[in-house]
Amino acid sequence: MTKRYTISELARACGLSRATLLYYDRIGLLPSPGRTASGYRVYGGGDLRRLQKIRRFREMGLAIADIQRLLDGKRGPFAAILKKRLNEIGGQIVSLKKQQSLLAGMLKSGGAFPVVDKAQWVAMLRRAGMDEAGMARWHREFERHSPEDHHVFLLSLGIPEAETRAIRRWAQ
Amino acid sequence: MTATQHTMKNHITIDEWIALFRETGLDATQMQRWHRLFEQRHPEGHRAFLEWLGLDAARVEQIRAAHR
Repeated sequence: MTKRYTISELARACGLSRATLLYYDRIGLLPSPGRTASGYRVYGGGDLRRLQKIRRFREMGLAIADIQRLLDGKRGPFAAILKKRLNEIGGQIVSLKKQQSLLAGMLKSGGAFPVVDKAQWVAMLRRAGMDEAGMARWHREFERHSPEDHHVFLLSLGIPEAETRAIRRWAQ
Repeated sequence: MTATQHTMKNHITIDEWIALFRETGLDATQMQRWHRLFEQRHPEGHRAFLEWLGLDAARVEQIRAAHR
């Protein structure tokens, strides 16, 4: 005798909610089953196996439409669909790492919005033609002209507070 | 006072920044080169820096486009 499930039993058996199963039924991801004489849905083992696959695919973040195509069983789109999702995830990781870097930079600078770090800043000035003497002059003029901005700017390069104060003291 | 609380009073402007660069060793050609390096190596940083100088989005884009 093959196992039979009501919708609630099936939900419990595959770890999804009844509402989710009803939704999948509505959009055709879970084929509508037979009904009892009283009109209740009756599911079988095949439905359970299908739902378990759907759940596993959802855990990978795949879209419903793509899961539908995968379950249709054609080998063709299989690799393309998974690669598409991998690319998406790769993009999200890059974006999240950028956020991480900005936040870490801002914490390190005590609240100054990060621009570039000190090494990058010095490298660009050098490449543009400013020498060490020029940079020293620049700090002195900056400190004379706008000490507060000088301070904030040095922090934004990721230079710690203590070193920033030292640079400014020496430039005064 | 944290850097975020730093007020915008007497905040250095782009003209003052240019004057500062000029006084301390970069001529016009070198400043162009610097902007180009900044835009090509660190485009997001370039944008952040120009915004910090108080430039609006249109002006920022104008400068960045000129140095891509």
